[in-house]
Amino acid sequence: MTSLIAENLAYSYSRQGQLALDNVSIELRSGTLTALVGPNGAGKSSLLRLLQGQSQPNKGQIRIDGEPLMNVRDQVALMPQRSSINWSFPITVEGLVSLGRVNSSKTTCCELEAALQRVGIPELAKRRLDSLSGGQQQRALLAKTLIRPAKIFLLDEPCASLDPLAREKFLIIVRQLADSGLILFVSSHDWGKSLYTYDRVVALNKTILASGTPQQVLEKLFSIGSMGNHCCG
Amino acid sequence: MSLLNSNWWIIPLFITFFSGIICPAMGTILITHKRLLQVNLISHCVMPGLALAVALGVDASLGGVVSGLLGALLTESLTNKKNENYEAVMNTILAGSLGLGLLLIPFLGIRIDLEAVLFGDLLTANIGDLLRTLIAFLVFISLTIFGYDKLVHVGLDPEGAEANGIKVSFLNLLLGFTTALVIVSSMSAVGVILVIALLSMPTLWGLQKARTLWAAMARSSIFGVGISLLGFVLAMIFNLAPGPLISVLCVASLGFPLVNSQ
Repeated sequence: MTSLIAENLAYSYSRQGQLALDNVSIELRSGTLTALVGPNGAGKSSLLRLLQGQSQPNKGQIRIDGEPLMNVRDQVALMPQRSSINWSFPITVEGLVSLGRVNSSKTTCCELEAALQRVGIPELAKRRLDSLSGGQQQRALLAKTLIRPAKIFLLDEPCASLDPLAREKFLIIVRQLADSGLILFVSSHDWGKSLYTYDRVVALNKTILASGTPQQVLEKLFSIGSMGNHCCG
Repeated sequence: MSLLNSNWWIIPLFITFFSGIICPAMGTILITHKRLLQVNLISHCVMPGLALAVALGVDASLGGVVSGLLGALLTESLTNKKNENYEAVMNTILAGSLGLGLLLIPFLGIRIDLEAVLFGDLLTANIGDLLRTLIAFLVFISLTIFGYDKLVHVGLDPEGAEANGIKVSFLNLLLGFTTALVIVSSMSAVGVILVIALLSMPTLWGLQKARTLWAAMARSSIFGVGISLLGFVLAMIFNLAPGPLISVLCVASLGFPLVNSQ
């Protein structure tokens, strides 16, 4: 049973700059699908980068099964935002997925096939990345993340710019991955009905506004009226 | 050696051939890394280095490479984190470097055939020019063989590459150095300004339907060699300057990949 515990995290982009995150504590456990919601500039991507070890917190600590994050960084994999990928790069889906391993030459065909199977696109392995739909591209990117031997997967706005059907399909895959015992922490702008797909929800706006089941979080947000009733996908 | 002396066209032909390979292949890497504008910058920034090198009596290409690279580094250091002012800074340094190069020529009391440097003079190319092209070719091949995986990763997902421990800044520095070397080595073939066409146009063709960066580079190079050799032969037949003719042929062929991609 893997667990990730972050306590009292604070983070700023520069030493004397404003805090992008303040007093953030979360706990993620095996087999749970957790949403991280918040408006633009709430610090969602910053939090995911801290949890992956790409950035260091100014304060606080992150532990996985009691071990400091930096000792077990390979346990965590981050799927970046769509905008950080050069989708017109000349590469096939299998080429992209094999890059998920630090040393891509070590990726075996079985691992590749398994990763593509898990996201439901084995038939697209030889297709060029820019010939895929947005939803297929996101699944390919998820397969690239899944090929890492990690137990904790952080997904940065994977459903942004997907149409409702593609978003639904994507969330089904993510649900299945969580049910297989992995930890999935998914950032999103969407706090509409799709929030009920998740086991737990963390609402963030530089600090934690609410956390709990989708119902609990929505009720709390409604009562404090801090995030409005947005749904921008 | 006697073969080269009696057949004056052999050296220009080899330079055309190798420039036709490395310029489009280099262009393919730069365009997939969204760094093609750097070609413009470096090609203008080689001028002050060329002038200084001639004045100091060292190889002109060495000065050109150093000065081209310094121009690229200066631009990056003056660019803000969000890259918002990159184009303005780049164009200022680009024009300023060319101006500085032109001012240095009378100031240092040296003679440089500006027309040959900017637009190429293939027919007067010598064995030194050929060696420069071969060195650039070897450096480029080494970069692609030993750094291929990193080039792919950084071109596709720069942030992810950095997170995986790839030194992106160092790789970009290497790319800048190799670009400067390729531009200077093509000086005699098409000139430091007209080389931009050979770095850009064949790439549009090469990138179409290519499933790997290797395939895109190979396709670009095949098209680049074809267009360079065609330009060379036509220039011989009609007694025209090969550099400008190759650039015009690049423009004339522009329609082909664009129509093909529709």
